Amino acid sequence: MRHLNILTFITLFTLVLTGLPSPCHAFQSHPAPEGLYVHQMSHVLFIGALAYLYWHLGKSSLIASRGWHYMRLFCLLFLVWNCLTFAGHASYSYLSVDDFVNMGTWQSKIALPVTPLKLLYYLTRFEHLISVPAIFCLFIGLRLFYREVCAEEEK
Amino acid sequence: MINLPLVPAIIADIGGSLIVIIVAFLSAQYAYRLTKIQPENFLWGFLFYLCVAMTAFATSRGVGHIVRQFLILSGNETAWRTLSPFSGGINTLLITSAASVIIYYHKWLEAYEAIQIEVGKQKVANAKLAETAEELHEMNLNLEEIVEIRTQDLSISEKKFRHFFENSKDMVYFCNDGGQVSDINQSGVEMLGYQERPDKLDLHSFFKDVEDLEKYLQTLHDNGFVRDFEIEMERQDGSLCHALLSANAILNEKGEVVGCEGVAKDMTRIKTITDQLISQRKMASIGQLAAGVAHEINTPLGIILGYSQLMQDDFSKESEEHQNLNVIERQTKACQKIVADLLKFSRQSASEKVQLQLNDVIEDVISVTEHSLNMAHIHIIKELAADLPLISGDPERLRQVLFNLINNAHHAIGENGNVTVCTSAPPGNTTITCTVTDTGRGIPAEIQDKIFDPFFTTKGVGQGTGLGLSVTYGIINDHDGSVILESPTSSGSGTSFHLSFPILITKTNI
Ligand SMILES: Nc1ncnc2c1ncn2[C@@H]1O[C@H](COP(=O)(O)OP(=O)(O)OP(=O)(O)O)[C@@H](O)[C@H]1O
Ligand SMILES: [Mg+2]
Repeated sequence: MRHLNILTFITLFTLVLTGLPSPCHAFQSHPAPEGLYVHQMSHVLFIGALAYLYWHLGKSSLIASRGWHYMRLFCLLFLVWNCLTFAGHASYSYLSVDDFVNMGTWQSKIALPVTPLKLLYYLTRFEHLISVPAIFCLFIGLRLFYREVCAEEEK
Repeated sequence: MINLPLVPAIIADIGGSLIVIIVAFLSAQYAYRLTKIQPENFLWGFLFYLCVAMTAFATSRGVGHIVRQFLILSGNETAWRTLSPFSGGINTLLITSAASVIIYYHKWLEAYEAIQIEVGKQKVANAKLAETAEELHEMNLNLEEIVEIRTQDLSISEKKFRHFFENSKDMVYFCNDGGQVSDINQSGVEMLGYQERPDKLDLHSFFKDVEDLEKYLQTLHDNGFVRDFEIEMERQDGSLCHALLSANAILNEKGEVVGCEGVAKDMTRIKTITDQLISQRKMASIGQLAAGVAHEINTPLGIILGYSQLMQDDFSKESEEHQNLNVIERQTKACQKIVADLLKFSRQSASEKVQLQLNDVIEDVISVTEHSLNMAHIHIIKELAADLPLISGDPERLRQVLFNLINNAHHAIGENGNVTVCTSAPPGNTTITCTVTDTGRGIPAEIQDKIFDPFFTTKGVGQGTGLGLSVTYGIINDHDGSVILESPTSSGSGTSFHLSFPILITKTNI
């Protein structure tokens, strides 16, 4: 189980690293890219951990409560969210100042023409559409556990 | 061309961040409560740490995003550039810690499982303990009740057996090894002729015959029981009592006989009845035999008589032949009388029953016999009841009965004595009695059960036939009556014959 866990992590990690932007074809060069790298790595780690938890909760018979279904859903949504933010960070690193209009104002837009990269970036900005349901799943799951436990204790 | 305005993204960013922070906090709060309620459940611990990490991350990231939006929108982009690495760094750290919490999930699970098994064991043990405690409690509560019920049962059982013992119509007794009676019921006491239980009573008082007692004890020792052992007991007043005895030996742990318990049934009445029945049977068979013989003899006797009378005419009255034929005729007539008696005894001869007053029959007989009795200085006393109920009977044959009895009395007395004839009708009874008592020599006990037999006589040859009483017996039987012999009588000598006849039930009687 543990090996699998590490294995998943390593695979994902190498996959991501190979897909990571290299300074040579960057539109905009960041002064200290290792910060971003570490951040992205942490996302990958998180994805791995969530995937592991999602998988493990699925096969465990110990946890029959409905609450755990919400936990799994939370894992799944958060995993998606992590992928999205990862994509967001990655796509943003390819964009330059010229790709934005009216930066720093309420009228800020993404400059035309709309390329797939820009569209991807734009979509990733709506990551909360995933994170809000995800955190709600966590909340609902816990509330279910709490109620069950309360009912059990009352007995 | 479509423009991609960033305003919706900014709003979604700010709003979403806020919501995520709030909900994360709420989740953490639930997780915290769970750990408080069930601190032993490691899964709650896991969820709590996960929530804490998630909340920290959500807060750091959300606040970071909101601050960024405000700083950028308010034109302070430089300030954000300074803050940005910190925010990013913290976020990275928090993501990593959240991931670490998750990575160690299986450890939490293992701990949880281990504890769960322990808890399960504990639960089973606790349940068992509780069950035992409950049982103990129940037993304690019920003990008194059970004891009470048992005591009640015991007393009911004791009552039952006590009742059986006290009220048994048979003797029930318990004896110790020395033959001392340790307990005996009232029936037993009465059977032995006592009013109340004597202080000292032993087996010797049961057994008249010492040999019987020895046999009884021997059988008890050998077999452990005695079944239907016939014994004769001597009552307190000296009278005899026939009893049937069944007993069991009482053994101690070593199997030694330490006493006995037994039941004795009074068979005196049954024995008397059986004896009577046997004698009746005997009478009946002898009667039948006699009747057959009598019948056959009757015809040749008639012919002998006829011829002897016929021949008498051929000789002169003074001739020796005539005298001899006379003797033949007399003796033949005597034979005929015997045959007639035999037939009467066996009820073969016809009888006609009418309503009659027994007193009249007695008067008739006495008037005939009085003379000869007076000659022998025998006084005849009549004690006849005034309103004696009528009976149904053959006057001729009843006369014969009384004649026989008075004759016997005469013979037993010889000279100088009394013959008393009395009749009575005890009130409430369905029979009348007639008693003929004499002051004669009495009848010895050893021949008392033989005198009713045909041809039994103590008289010399030619003096008596021995048919008198057997004929009497036959006639009385034919009248559904009974005859009882008492000798010696209550006066100490002499003989009494008690006759009883059923009262005739006519419409006028009722
Ligand atoms: N009243 C009595 N007192 C003493 N002995 C009696 C009396 N009545 C009968 N017996 C005895 O019973 C015997 C039988 O009597 P039963 O009348 O049957 O015959 P019997 O008198 O001897 O002869 P039979 O009557 O034919 O003359 C008698 O021989 C006598 O010994
Ligand atoms: Mg006689």
